[in-house]
Amino acid sequence: MQNTPPESLADPSSLRCRIEIDKLRKVFLAQGREVVAVDDASFRIDDGEFVALLGPSGCGKSTILNMVATLITPNGGAIRVDDAAVVPGRPIRNVGYVFQKDTLFPWRTVEDNIGYALELAGVPAEERKARVAEAIRQAGLDGFGRFYPASLSGGMRQRVSLMRTLIARPEILLMDEPFGALDTHTKLDMHSVLLSLWERERQTVLFVTHDLGEALTLADRIILMSARPGRVKADFKVDFPRPRDAVKLRETPQYAALFSQVWHSLGEEFAKGSSPT
Amino acid sequence: MRRAMTLFWQIVIGVGALAIWEWGWDLHARVPWLVPDILDPYFVSKPSEIFKQFLRMGCLVTPRGDWTLGTPGAFERCIGRSENNLWIATYFTLKNTLWGFATGVSSGFVLGLLLGRSDRLSEIFYPYITAFNSIPRIALAPIIILAFGIGDASKIVTAWLVVVFLVFFNTFEGARSVDRDHINAARLLGAGEWQVTRTVIVPSTMAWLFASLTPAVSFALIGVIVGEFIGAEHGIGRMIIEAEARGEAAGMMVAVFVLMIVGVILATGVRRLQSYLLRWRPASTLAT
Repeated sequence: MQNTPPESLADPSSLRCRIEIDKLRKVFLAQGREVVAVDDASFRIDDGEFVALLGPSGCGKSTILNMVATLITPNGGAIRVDDAAVVPGRPIRNVGYVFQKDTLFPWRTVEDNIGYALELAGVPAEERKARVAEAIRQAGLDGFGRFYPASLSGGMRQRVSLMRTLIARPEILLMDEPFGALDTHTKLDMHSVLLSLWERERQTVLFVTHDLGEALTLADRIILMSARPGRVKADFKVDFPRPRDAVKLRETPQYAALFSQVWHSLGEEFAKGSSPT
Repeated sequence: MRRAMTLFWQIVIGVGALAIWEWGWDLHARVPWLVPDILDPYFVSKPSEIFKQFLRMGCLVTPRGDWTLGTPGAFERCIGRSENNLWIATYFTLKNTLWGFATGVSSGFVLGLLLGRSDRLSEIFYPYITAFNSIPRIALAPIIILAFGIGDASKIVTAWLVVVFLVFFNTFEGARSVDRDHINAARLLGAGEWQVTRTVIVPSTMAWLFASLTPAVSFALIGVIVGEFIGAEHGIGRMIIEAEARGEAAGMMVAVFVLMIVGVILATGVRRLQSYLLRWRPASTLAT
Protein backbone atom coordinates (compact mmCIF):
# COMPACT_ATOMS: atom_id res chain seq x y z
CA MET A 1 0.00 0.00 0.00
CA GLN A 2 2.86 2.35 -0.73
CA ASN A 3 1.32 4.36 -3.49
CA THR A 4 -2.38 4.68 -3.00
CA PRO A 5 -3.00 8.28 -2.02
CA PRO A 6 -6.42 9.10 -0.57
CA GLU A 7 -9.02 9.83 -3.15
CA SER A 8 -9.09 13.50 -3.98
CA LEU A 9 -12.53 15.00 -3.66
CA ALA A 10 -11.56 17.93 -5.82
CA ASP A 11 -10.86 15.79 -8.84
CA PRO A 12 -12.76 12.52 -8.59
CA SER A 13 -12.43 11.66 -12.25
CA SER A 14 -8.66 11.32 -12.22
CA LEU A 15 -8.50 8.78 -9.40
CA ARG A 16 -11.85 7.07 -9.33
CA CYS A 17 -11.48 3.72 -7.60
CA ARG A 18 -12.82 0.89 -9.79
CA ILE A 19 -11.83 -2.24 -7.88
CA GLU A 20 -11.34 -2.38 -4.14
CA ILE A 21 -10.28 -5.52 -2.33
CA ASP A 22 -10.33 -5.52 1.42
CA LYS A 23 -8.89 -8.24 3.72
CA LEU A 24 -9.89 -10.94 1.25
CA ARG A 25 -9.58 -14.53 2.45
CA LYS A 26 -10.13 -17.87 0.74
CA VAL A 27 -9.72 -21.34 2.21
CA PHE A 28 -9.87 -24.47 0.08
CA LEU A 29 -10.44 -28.02 1.23
CA ALA A 30 -7.87 -30.35 -0.26
CA GLN A 31 -7.93 -34.00 0.80
CA GLY A 32 -9.65 -33.15 4.04
CA ARG A 33 -7.10 -30.50 4.90
CA GLU A 34 -7.76 -26.79 4.94
CA VAL A 35 -5.44 -24.86 2.67
CA VAL A 36 -5.38 -21.09 3.00
CA ALA A 37 -5.05 -19.87 -0.56
CA VAL A 38 -5.50 -16.16 0.03
CA ASP A 39 -5.14 -14.42 3.36
CA ASP A 40 -5.73 -10.79 4.24
CA ALA A 41 -5.19 -9.51 0.72
CA SER A 42 -6.04 -5.84 0.21
CA PHE A 43 -5.45 -3.46 -2.69
CA ARG A 44 -7.29 -1.02 -4.88
CA ILE A 45 -7.19 -0.25 -8.56
CA ASP A 46 -8.03 3.17 -9.96
CA ASP A 47 -9.72 4.01 -13.19
CA GLY A 48 -7.66 3.32 -16.29
CA GLU A 49 -4.87 1.58 -14.39
CA PHE A 50 -3.23 -1.50 -15.83
CA VAL A 51 -2.29 -3.62 -12.83
CA ALA A 52 -0.39 -6.88 -12.93
CA LEU A 53 -0.91 -9.33 -10.10
CA LEU A 54 2.40 -11.17 -9.97
CA GLY A 55 3.46 -14.13 -7.89
CA PRO A 56 4.70 -17.70 -7.88
CA SER A 57 2.40 -20.54 -8.92
CA GLY A 58 -0.18 -21.44 -6.30
CA CYS A 59 0.04 -18.10 -4.51
CA GLY A 60 -3.67 -17.47 -4.95
CA LYS A 61 -3.45 -14.72 -7.56
CA SER A 62 -5.90 -16.44 -9.91
CA THR A 63 -8.13 -17.14 -6.92
CA ILE A 64 -8.30 -13.41 -6.19
CA LEU A 65 -9.11 -12.67 -9.83
CA ASN A 66 -11.83 -15.32 -9.90
CA MET A 67 -13.35 -13.91 -6.74
CA VAL A 68 -13.51 -10.48 -8.38
CA ALA A 69 -15.07 -12.18 -11.42
CA THR A 70 -17.74 -13.73 -9.14
CA LEU A 71 -16.64 -17.26 -10.09
CA ILE A 72 -15.39 -18.12 -6.58
CA THR A 73 -17.00 -17.23 -3.26
CA PRO A 74 -14.61 -15.68 -0.71
CA ASN A 75 -14.51 -16.88 2.91
CA GLY A 76 -13.93 -13.43 4.26
CA GLY A 77 -13.28 -9.83 3.37
CA ALA A 78 -14.97 -7.70 0.76
CA ILE A 79 -14.72 -6.88 -2.93
CA ARG A 80 -16.21 -3.73 -4.36
CA VAL A 81 -16.39 -2.93 -8.03
CA ASP A 82 -17.45 0.63 -8.74
CA ASP A 83 -18.42 0.99 -5.07
CA ALA A 84 -20.89 -1.90 -5.26
CA ALA A 85 -20.28 -5.11 -3.32
CA VAL A 86 -19.65 -8.11 -5.58
CA VAL A 87 -22.16 -10.94 -5.27
CA PRO A 88 -20.74 -14.39 -6.10
CA GLY A 89 -22.43 -15.98 -9.09
CA ARG A 90 -23.75 -12.71 -10.38
CA PRO A 91 -21.41 -11.40 -13.08
CA ILE A 92 -21.07 -7.64 -13.29
CA ARG A 93 -21.89 -5.83 -16.49
CA ASN A 94 -18.99 -3.74 -17.59
CA VAL A 95 -16.48 -6.35 -16.48
CA GLY A 96 -14.82 -8.52 -19.09
CA TYR A 97 -12.89 -11.69 -18.36
CA VAL A 98 -10.21 -13.43 -20.41
CA PHE A 99 -9.43 -17.02 -19.46
CA GLN A 100 -6.07 -18.74 -19.43
CA LYS A 101 -7.65 -21.85 -20.89
CA ASP A 102 -9.09 -21.83 -24.35
CA THR A 103 -12.80 -21.35 -23.75
CA LEU A 104 -13.87 -20.43 -27.27
CA PHE A 105 -17.04 -22.20 -28.32
CA PRO A 106 -15.74 -24.82 -30.77
CA TRP A 107 -19.08 -25.05 -32.59
CA ARG A 108 -19.04 -21.36 -33.48
CA THR A 109 -16.91 -19.77 -36.15
CA VAL A 110 -14.44 -17.01 -35.30
CA GLU A 111 -17.06 -14.42 -36.29
CA ASP A 112 -19.77 -16.01 -34.21
CA ASN A 113 -17.49 -16.38 -31.21
CA ILE A 114 -16.51 -12.73 -31.33
CA GLY A 115 -20.09 -11.61 -31.87
CA TYR A 116 -21.43 -13.78 -29.06
CA ALA A 117 -21.81 -11.07 -26.41
CA LEU A 118 -23.54 -8.77 -28.89
CA GLU A 119 -25.89 -11.58 -29.85
CA LEU A 120 -26.80 -12.07 -26.18
CA ALA A 121 -27.41 -8.37 -25.77
CA GLY A 122 -29.72 -8.38 -28.79
CA VAL A 123 -27.64 -6.02 -30.91
CA PRO A 124 -29.18 -5.89 -34.41
CA ALA A 125 -27.48 -8.09 -37.01
CA GLU A 126 -26.31 -5.17 -39.15
CA GLU A 127 -24.48 -3.43 -36.32
CA ARG A 128 -23.17 -6.72 -34.99
CA LYS A 129 -21.66 -7.59 -38.34
CA ALA A 130 -19.92 -4.25 -38.59
CA ARG A 131 -18.51 -4.43 -35.09
CA VAL A 132 -17.33 -8.02 -35.54
CA ALA A 133 -15.62 -7.10 -38.80
CA GLU A 134 -13.90 -4.20 -37.05
CA ALA A 135 -12.77 -6.47 -34.19
CA ILE A 136 -11.42 -9.04 -36.64
CA ARG A 137 -9.43 -6.33 -38.35
CA GLN A 138 -8.05 -4.94 -35.09
CA ALA A 139 -6.89 -8.36 -33.95
CA GLY A 140 -5.22 -9.09 -37.29
CA LEU A 141 -7.53 -12.01 -38.00
CA ASP A 142 -8.58 -10.92 -41.49
CA GLY A 143 -9.70 -13.84 -43.63
CA PHE A 144 -10.24 -16.15 -40.67
CA GLY A 145 -13.79 -15.05 -39.82
CA ARG A 146 -15.40 -18.22 -41.07
CA PHE A 147 -12.86 -20.61 -39.58
CA TYR A 148 -13.69 -22.81 -36.62
CA PRO A 149 -11.42 -22.50 -33.56
CA ALA A 150 -10.10 -26.05 -34.04
CA SER A 151 -8.28 -24.98 -37.20
CA LEU A 152 -6.52 -22.00 -35.60
CA SER A 153 -3.17 -21.83 -33.79
CA GLY A 154 -3.00 -21.17 -30.04
CA GLY A 155 -2.04 -17.55 -30.57
CA MET A 156 -4.89 -16.90 -32.97
CA ARG A 157 -7.37 -18.56 -30.65
CA GLN A 158 -6.25 -16.27 -27.85
CA ARG A 159 -6.74 -13.26 -30.15
CA VAL A 160 -10.28 -14.42 -30.78
CA SER A 161 -10.82 -14.87 -27.03
CA LEU A 162 -9.55 -11.36 -26.42
CA MET A 163 -11.87 -9.85 -29.04
CA ARG A 164 -14.82 -11.92 -27.82
CA THR A 165 -14.41 -10.16 -24.47
CA LEU A 166 -13.46 -6.72 -25.77
CA ILE A 167 -16.31 -6.41 -28.28
CA ALA A 168 -18.80 -5.72 -25.49
CA ARG A 169 -16.55 -2.74 -24.57
CA PRO A 170 -16.08 -3.59 -20.90
CA GLU A 171 -14.55 -0.79 -18.83
CA ILE A 172 -12.89 -3.26 -16.50
CA LEU A 173 -10.89 -6.18 -17.80
CA LEU A 174 -9.87 -9.22 -15.73
CA MET A 175 -7.23 -11.41 -17.34
CA ASP A 176 -6.08 -14.74 -15.93
CA GLU A 177 -2.67 -15.54 -17.42
CA PRO A 178 -4.19 -15.20 -20.87
CA PHE A 179 -0.88 -15.81 -22.66
CA GLY A 180 0.44 -18.42 -20.25
CA ALA A 181 0.12 -21.30 -22.70
CA LEU A 182 1.79 -19.53 -25.64
CA ASP A 183 5.38 -19.79 -26.82
CA THR A 184 7.69 -16.80 -26.25
CA HIS A 185 7.44 -15.40 -29.74
CA THR A 186 3.65 -15.58 -29.90
CA LYS A 187 3.49 -14.13 -26.42
CA LEU A 188 5.46 -11.02 -27.45
CA ASP A 189 3.18 -10.71 -30.43
CA MET A 190 0.14 -10.83 -28.19
CA HIS A 191 1.65 -8.18 -25.92
CA SER A 192 1.82 -5.80 -28.87
CA VAL A 193 -1.76 -6.62 -29.84
CA LEU A 194 -3.02 -6.11 -26.29
CA LEU A 195 -1.05 -2.87 -25.81
CA SER A 196 -2.36 -1.35 -29.01
CA LEU A 197 -5.93 -2.33 -28.18
CA TRP A 198 -5.60 -1.03 -24.65
CA GLU A 199 -4.16 2.29 -25.81
CA ARG A 200 -7.47 3.06 -27.57
CA GLU A 201 -9.84 2.36 -24.70
CA ARG A 202 -7.64 2.52 -21.58
CA GLN A 203 -9.71 0.01 -19.69
CA THR A 204 -9.01 -0.70 -16.04
CA VAL A 205 -7.11 -3.98 -16.12
CA LEU A 206 -6.25 -6.58 -13.52
CA PHE A 207 -3.83 -8.98 -15.18
CA VAL A 208 -2.68 -12.14 -13.41
CA THR A 209 0.70 -13.53 -14.42
CA HIS A 210 3.78 -15.30 -13.10
CA ASP A 211 5.93 -13.82 -15.85
CA LEU A 212 7.81 -10.76 -14.64
CA GLY A 213 8.77 -9.65 -18.15
CA GLU A 214 5.12 -9.71 -19.17
CA ALA A 215 4.10 -7.71 -16.10
CA LEU A 216 6.77 -5.05 -16.76
CA THR A 217 5.87 -4.81 -20.44
CA LEU A 218 2.18 -4.29 -19.92
CA ALA A 219 1.41 -2.83 -16.52
CA ASP A 220 1.45 0.54 -14.78
CA ARG A 221 1.72 -1.17 -11.44
CA ILE A 222 2.82 -4.59 -10.23
CA ILE A 223 1.26 -6.05 -7.13
CA LEU A 224 3.57 -8.75 -5.88
CA MET A 225 2.01 -11.65 -3.99
CA SER A 226 3.77 -13.76 -1.40
CA ALA A 227 3.88 -17.55 -1.61
CA ARG A 228 0.95 -19.41 -0.04
CA PRO A 229 -0.94 -18.18 1.86
CA GLY A 230 -1.20 -15.39 -0.69
CA ARG A 231 -0.84 -11.90 0.69
CA VAL A 232 0.16 -8.66 -0.95
CA LYS A 233 3.89 -8.38 -0.43
CA ALA A 234 4.87 -5.29 -2.37
CA ASP A 235 3.50 -2.76 -4.83
CA PHE A 236 5.78 -1.48 -7.59
CA LYS A 237 5.15 1.44 -9.89
CA VAL A 238 6.08 0.77 -13.52
CA ASP A 239 6.44 4.21 -15.08
CA PHE A 240 7.84 3.43 -18.51
CA PRO A 241 6.46 5.89 -21.03
CA ARG A 242 3.53 4.90 -23.21
CA PRO A 243 2.81 3.91 -25.89
CA ARG A 244 5.27 1.09 -25.32
CA ASP A 245 6.97 -1.17 -27.78
CA ALA A 246 6.80 -4.69 -26.37
CA VAL A 247 10.15 -5.66 -27.86
CA LYS A 248 12.23 -2.47 -27.66
CA LEU A 249 11.19 -1.81 -24.08
CA ARG A 250 13.08 -4.88 -22.99
CA GLU A 251 16.37 -3.40 -24.23
CA THR A 252 16.20 -0.23 -22.10
CA PRO A 253 18.29 0.17 -18.91
CA GLN A 254 15.21 1.26 -16.92
CA TYR A 255 13.60 -2.05 -17.75
CA ALA A 256 16.67 -3.96 -16.64
CA ALA A 257 16.87 -1.99 -13.37
CA LEU A 258 13.24 -2.53 -12.43
CA PHE A 259 13.43 -6.14 -13.55
CA SER A 260 16.25 -6.92 -11.13
CA GLN A 261 14.56 -5.00 -8.31
CA VAL A 262 11.32 -6.94 -8.58
CA TRP A 263 13.16 -10.13 -9.41
CA HIS A 264 14.90 -10.22 -6.04
CA SER A 265 11.66 -9.71 -4.23
CA LEU A 266 9.97 -12.35 -6.39
CA GLY A 267 12.91 -14.75 -6.07
CA GLU A 268 12.40 -14.97 -2.32
CA GLU A 269 8.82 -16.04 -2.88
CA PHE A 270 9.72 -18.60 -5.51
CA ALA A 271 12.23 -20.10 -3.07
CA LYS A 272 9.49 -20.32 -0.42
CA GLY A 273 6.98 -21.68 -2.87
CA SER A 274 9.22 -24.54 -3.93
CA SER A 275 10.06 -25.67 -0.39
CA PRO A 276 7.78 -28.33 1.06
CA THR A 277 4.85 -26.89 2.97
CA MET B 1 -0.79 -49.34 -55.85
CA ARG B 2 -1.94 -50.20 -52.39
CA ARG B 3 -5.47 -49.13 -53.28
CA ALA B 4 -5.41 -51.23 -56.42
CA MET B 5 -4.31 -54.29 -54.43
CA THR B 6 -7.03 -53.69 -51.87
CA LEU B 7 -9.61 -53.45 -54.61
CA PHE B 8 -8.23 -56.59 -56.25
CA TRP B 9 -8.58 -58.65 -53.08
CA GLN B 10 -12.02 -57.24 -52.41
CA ILE B 11 -13.17 -58.39 -55.84
CA VAL B 12 -11.50 -61.81 -55.45
CA ILE B 13 -13.19 -62.39 -52.10
CA GLY B 14 -16.59 -61.19 -53.36
CA VAL B 15 -16.54 -63.19 -56.58
CA GLY B 16 -15.14 -66.21 -54.76
CA ALA B 17 -17.87 -66.18 -52.14
CA LEU B 18 -20.57 -65.82 -54.79
CA ALA B 19 -19.05 -68.70 -56.80
CA ILE B 20 -18.99 -71.01 -53.79
CA TRP B 21 -22.57 -70.04 -53.03
CA GLU B 22 -23.65 -70.69 -56.65
CA TRP B 23 -21.79 -73.90 -57.44
CA GLY B 24 -20.58 -75.19 -54.07
CA TRP B 25 -23.54 -77.47 -53.59
CA ASP B 26 -22.86 -79.27 -56.86
CA LEU B 27 -19.68 -80.60 -55.26
CA HIS B 28 -21.59 -81.91 -52.29
CA ALA B 29 -22.61 -85.14 -54.01
CA ARG B 30 -19.01 -86.00 -54.83
CA VAL B 31 -17.07 -84.73 -51.80
CA PRO B 32 -19.63 -84.32 -48.99
CA TRP B 33 -17.02 -83.54 -46.30
CA LEU B 34 -15.82 -80.46 -48.22
CA VAL B 35 -19.15 -78.65 -48.49
CA PRO B 36 -21.11 -77.81 -45.34
CA ASP B 37 -24.82 -78.59 -45.30
CA ILE B 38 -25.72 -74.94 -44.90
CA LEU B 39 -24.96 -74.40 -48.60
CA ASP B 40 -28.04 -76.47 -49.46
CA PRO B 41 -30.05 -74.22 -51.83
CA TYR B 42 -33.13 -75.21 -49.88
CA PHE B 43 -31.84 -72.97 -47.06
CA VAL B 44 -29.80 -70.30 -48.78
CA SER B 45 -30.89 -70.53 -52.43
CA LYS B 46 -28.36 -69.49 -55.09
CA PRO B 47 -27.24 -66.07 -56.36
CA SER B 48 -28.75 -66.75 -59.81
CA GLU B 49 -32.09 -67.82 -58.30
CA ILE B 50 -32.09 -64.85 -55.93
CA PHE B 51 -31.50 -62.48 -58.84
CA LYS B 52 -34.37 -63.99 -60.85
CA GLN B 53 -36.59 -63.83 -57.81
CA PHE B 54 -35.59 -60.21 -57.28
CA LEU B 55 -36.67 -59.33 -60.81
CA ARG B 56 -40.02 -61.05 -60.28
CA MET B 57 -40.67 -59.57 -56.83
CA GLY B 58 -39.62 -56.15 -58.00
CA CYS B 59 -42.07 -56.42 -60.95
CA LEU B 60 -39.20 -55.99 -63.38
CA VAL B 61 -40.25 -59.17 -65.22
CA THR B 62 -43.69 -60.73 -65.49
CA PRO B 63 -44.38 -64.18 -64.00
CA ARG B 64 -43.89 -65.54 -67.54
CA GLY B 65 -40.42 -64.07 -67.65
CA ASP B 66 -40.87 -61.06 -69.97
CA TRP B 67 -39.40 -57.67 -69.11
CA THR B 68 -42.12 -55.32 -67.91
CA LEU B 69 -40.29 -52.19 -69.05
CA GLY B 70 -40.85 -53.04 -72.71
CA THR B 71 -44.61 -53.54 -72.39
CA PRO B 72 -46.68 -50.44 -71.55
CA GLY B 73 -48.72 -50.90 -68.36
CA ALA B 74 -47.13 -54.22 -67.42
CA PHE B 75 -45.22 -52.78 -64.47
CA GLU B 76 -48.36 -51.08 -63.08
CA ARG B 77 -50.39 -54.30 -63.51
CA CYS B 78 -47.77 -56.27 -61.63
CA ILE B 79 -47.59 -53.69 -58.84
CA GLY B 80 -51.37 -53.74 -58.55
CA ARG B 81 -51.55 -57.54 -58.36
CA SER B 82 -49.70 -58.03 -55.11
CA GLU B 83 -50.49 -56.46 -51.75
CA ASN B 84 -46.95 -56.55 -50.47
CA ASN B 85 -44.57 -56.40 -53.40
CA LEU B 86 -40.96 -55.31 -53.02
CA TRP B 87 -41.63 -51.63 -53.68
CA ILE B 88 -44.54 -51.28 -51.31
CA ALA B 89 -42.76 -53.31 -48.65
CA THR B 90 -39.65 -51.16 -48.90
CA TYR B 91 -41.73 -48.00 -48.75
CA PHE B 92 -43.51 -49.07 -45.55
CA THR B 93 -40.37 -50.32 -43.84
CA LEU B 94 -38.44 -47.19 -44.74
CA LYS B 95 -41.24 -44.87 -43.70
CA ASN B 96 -41.69 -46.52 -40.32
CA THR B 97 -37.96 -46.64 -39.72
CA LEU B 98 -37.61 -42.93 -40.34
CA TRP B 99 -40.56 -42.09 -38.11
CA GLY B 100 -39.22 -44.28 -35.32
CA PHE B 101 -35.80 -42.71 -35.76
CA ALA B 102 -37.11 -39.14 -35.73
CA THR B 103 -39.38 -39.59 -32.71
CA GLY B 104 -36.78 -41.63 -30.83
CA VAL B 105 -33.98 -39.15 -31.43
CA SER B 106 -36.01 -36.08 -30.53
CA SER B 107 -37.61 -37.49 -27.39
CA GLY B 108 -34.36 -39.15 -26.28
CA PHE B 109 -32.55 -35.86 -26.68
CA VAL B 110 -35.07 -33.86 -24.69
CA LEU B 111 -35.18 -36.46 -21.89
CA GLY B 112 -31.40 -36.75 -21.79
CA LEU B 113 -30.98 -33.00 -21.62
CA LEU B 114 -33.58 -32.63 -18.90
CA LEU B 115 -32.20 -35.35 -16.66
CA GLY B 116 -28.58 -34.61 -17.50
CA ARG B 117 -28.88 -31.02 -16.33
CA SER B 118 -30.94 -31.72 -13.24
CA ASP B 119 -29.29 -33.68 -10.43
CA ARG B 120 -32.63 -33.89 -8.64
CA LEU B 121 -34.49 -35.48 -11.56
CA SER B 122 -31.68 -37.86 -12.44
CA GLU B 123 -31.50 -39.01 -8.80
CA ILE B 124 -35.23 -39.73 -8.72
CA PHE B 125 -35.40 -41.52 -12.05
CA TYR B 126 -32.10 -43.38 -11.81
CA PRO B 127 -33.45 -46.78 -10.61
CA TYR B 128 -36.28 -46.77 -13.16
CA ILE B 129 -34.01 -45.97 -16.04
CA THR B 130 -31.52 -48.65 -15.03
CA ALA B 131 -34.33 -51.20 -14.71
CA PHE B 132 -35.91 -50.30 -18.05
CA ASN B 133 -32.59 -50.25 -19.76
CA SER B 134 -31.85 -53.82 -18.71
CA ILE B 135 -34.97 -55.09 -20.50
CA PRO B 136 -34.07 -56.26 -24.01
CA ARG B 137 -36.34 -53.82 -25.88
CA ILE B 138 -37.22 -56.38 -28.53
CA ALA B 139 -38.90 -58.51 -25.84
CA LEU B 140 -41.56 -55.81 -25.63
CA ALA B 141 -42.41 -56.01 -29.34
CA PRO B 142 -45.27 -58.56 -28.97
CA ILE B 143 -46.86 -56.39 -26.25
CA ILE B 144 -46.60 -53.36 -28.50
CA ILE B 145 -48.23 -55.22 -31.40
CA LEU B 146 -51.01 -56.27 -29.04
CA ALA B 147 -51.51 -52.72 -27.83
CA PHE B 148 -51.09 -50.81 -31.10
CA GLY B 149 -52.35 -53.32 -33.65
CA ILE B 150 -50.67 -54.62 -36.77
CA GLY B 151 -50.58 -51.26 -38.55
CA ASP B 152 -47.77 -48.70 -38.81
CA ALA B 153 -48.16 -47.38 -35.25
CA SER B 154 -46.82 -50.53 -33.61
CA LYS B 155 -43.72 -50.55 -35.85
CA ILE B 156 -42.99 -46.90 -35.12
CA VAL B 157 -43.41 -47.49 -31.38
CA THR B 158 -41.08 -50.50 -31.47
CA ALA B 159 -38.44 -48.54 -33.38
CA TRP B 160 -38.92 -45.57 -31.05
CA LEU B 161 -38.41 -47.77 -28.00
CA VAL B 162 -35.16 -49.16 -29.36
CA VAL B 163 -33.83 -45.74 -30.36
CA VAL B 164 -34.95 -43.61 -27.44
CA PHE B 165 -32.77 -45.28 -24.80
CA LEU B 166 -29.68 -45.21 -26.95
CA VAL B 167 -30.10 -41.51 -27.65
CA PHE B 168 -31.15 -40.78 -24.10
CA PHE B 169 -27.98 -42.25 -22.58
CA ASN B 170 -25.73 -40.49 -25.06
CA THR B 171 -27.42 -37.14 -24.51
CA PHE B 172 -27.41 -37.67 -20.75
CA GLU B 173 -23.65 -38.23 -20.75
CA GLY B 174 -23.18 -35.24 -23.03
CA ALA B 175 -25.29 -32.96 -20.88
CA ARG B 176 -23.31 -33.96 -17.79
CA SER B 177 -19.97 -33.35 -19.42
CA VAL B 178 -20.56 -29.83 -20.70
CA ASP B 179 -17.35 -27.90 -20.04
CA ARG B 180 -17.80 -25.75 -16.92
CA ASP B 181 -15.46 -23.17 -18.40
CA HIS B 182 -17.71 -22.76 -21.42
CA ILE B 183 -20.65 -22.12 -19.10
CA ASN B 184 -18.60 -19.66 -17.05
CA ALA B 185 -17.38 -17.92 -20.18
CA ALA B 186 -20.96 -17.51 -21.40
CA ARG B 187 -22.11 -16.18 -18.02
CA LEU B 188 -19.26 -13.69 -17.87
CA LEU B 189 -20.12 -12.54 -21.37
CA GLY B 190 -23.60 -11.74 -20.13
CA ALA B 191 -25.65 -14.88 -20.74
CA GLY B 192 -28.66 -15.55 -18.50
CA GLU B 193 -29.76 -19.05 -17.50
CA TRP B 194 -31.86 -19.66 -20.59
CA GLN B 195 -29.20 -18.22 -22.88
CA VAL B 196 -26.59 -20.52 -21.33
CA THR B 197 -28.87 -23.49 -22.04
CA ARG B 198 -29.60 -22.42 -25.59
CA THR B 199 -26.11 -21.30 -26.65
CA VAL B 200 -23.82 -23.60 -24.65
CA ILE B 201 -25.52 -26.65 -23.19
CA VAL B 202 -27.62 -27.58 -26.23
CA PRO B 203 -24.86 -27.19 -28.84
CA SER B 204 -22.21 -29.01 -26.84
CA THR B 205 -24.64 -31.82 -26.04
CA MET B 206 -25.53 -32.00 -29.74
CA ALA B 207 -22.06 -33.37 -30.44
CA TRP B 208 -22.88 -36.40 -28.29
CA LEU B 209 -26.31 -36.73 -29.85
CA PHE B 210 -24.85 -36.79 -33.36
CA ALA B 211 -22.43 -39.54 -32.39
CA SER B 212 -25.42 -41.74 -31.57
CA LEU B 213 -27.30 -41.11 -34.83
CA THR B 214 -25.63 -43.80 -36.94
CA PRO B 215 -26.31 -46.65 -34.50
CA ALA B 216 -29.77 -45.15 -33.88
CA VAL B 217 -30.85 -45.49 -37.50
CA SER B 218 -29.66 -49.12 -37.62
CA PHE B 219 -31.51 -49.82 -34.38
CA ALA B 220 -34.67 -48.23 -35.76
CA LEU B 221 -34.54 -50.57 -38.76
CA ILE B 222 -34.12 -53.59 -36.47
CA GLY B 223 -37.11 -52.45 -34.39
CA VAL B 224 -39.33 -52.12 -37.46
CA ILE B 225 -38.32 -55.51 -38.90
CA VAL B 226 -38.97 -57.30 -35.61
CA GLY B 227 -42.34 -55.60 -35.38
CA GLU B 228 -43.14 -56.76 -38.90
CA PHE B 229 -42.10 -60.32 -38.06
CA ILE B 230 -44.63 -60.45 -35.27
CA GLY B 231 -47.56 -58.99 -37.10
CA ALA B 232 -47.89 -56.69 -40.08
CA GLU B 233 -49.71 -56.20 -43.36
CA HIS B 234 -46.81 -54.61 -45.21
CA GLY B 235 -43.07 -54.34 -44.96
CA ILE B 236 -39.92 -56.27 -45.71
CA GLY B 237 -40.11 -58.15 -42.42
CA ARG B 238 -43.56 -59.35 -43.39
CA MET B 239 -42.16 -60.39 -46.75
CA ILE B 240 -39.50 -62.56 -45.12
CA ILE B 241 -42.11 -64.29 -42.95
CA GLU B 242 -44.33 -64.94 -45.99
CA ALA B 243 -41.44 -66.41 -48.00
CA GLU B 244 -40.47 -68.56 -45.05
CA ALA B 245 -44.01 -69.91 -44.79
CA ARG B 246 -43.84 -70.91 -48.45
CA GLY B 247 -40.37 -72.39 -48.03
CA GLU B 248 -38.96 -69.94 -50.56
CA ALA B 249 -35.32 -69.39 -49.70
CA ALA B 250 -34.81 -67.10 -52.71
CA GLY B 251 -37.66 -64.84 -51.58
CA MET B 252 -36.19 -64.48 -48.12
CA MET B 253 -32.79 -63.75 -49.57
CA VAL B 254 -34.19 -61.02 -51.81
CA ALA B 255 -35.78 -59.37 -48.79
CA VAL B 256 -32.53 -59.61 -46.81
CA PHE B 257 -30.63 -58.18 -49.76
CA VAL B 258 -33.02 -55.23 -50.03
CA LEU B 259 -32.69 -54.66 -46.27
CA MET B 260 -28.96 -54.54 -46.69
CA ILE B 261 -29.28 -51.85 -49.34
CA VAL B 262 -31.74 -49.87 -47.24
CA GLY B 263 -29.42 -50.15 -44.24
CA VAL B 264 -26.41 -48.94 -46.20
CA ILE B 265 -28.32 -45.99 -47.66
CA LEU B 266 -29.68 -44.92 -44.27
CA ALA B 267 -26.31 -45.24 -42.53
CA THR B 268 -24.52 -43.33 -45.29
CA GLY B 269 -27.10 -40.56 -45.25
CA VAL B 270 -26.89 -40.17 -41.49
CA ARG B 271 -23.10 -40.22 -41.57
CA ARG B 272 -23.11 -37.46 -44.17
CA LEU B 273 -25.47 -35.42 -42.05
CA GLN B 274 -23.36 -36.08 -38.99
CA SER B 275 -20.09 -34.97 -40.52
CA TYR B 276 -21.79 -31.84 -41.85
CA LEU B 277 -23.24 -30.96 -38.44
CA LEU B 278 -19.95 -31.71 -36.69
CA ARG B 279 -17.82 -29.85 -39.22
CA TRP B 280 -16.42 -27.67 -36.45
CA ARG B 281 -14.69 -30.64 -34.89
CA PRO B 282 -10.97 -31.07 -35.56
CA ALA B 283 -10.50 -33.58 -38.36
CA SER B 284 -8.53 -36.01 -36.19
CA THR B 285 -11.40 -36.60 -33.77
CA LEU B 286 -14.08 -36.87 -36.43
CA ALA B 287 -15.25 -40.45 -36.53
CA THR B 288 -15.90 -41.44 -40.11
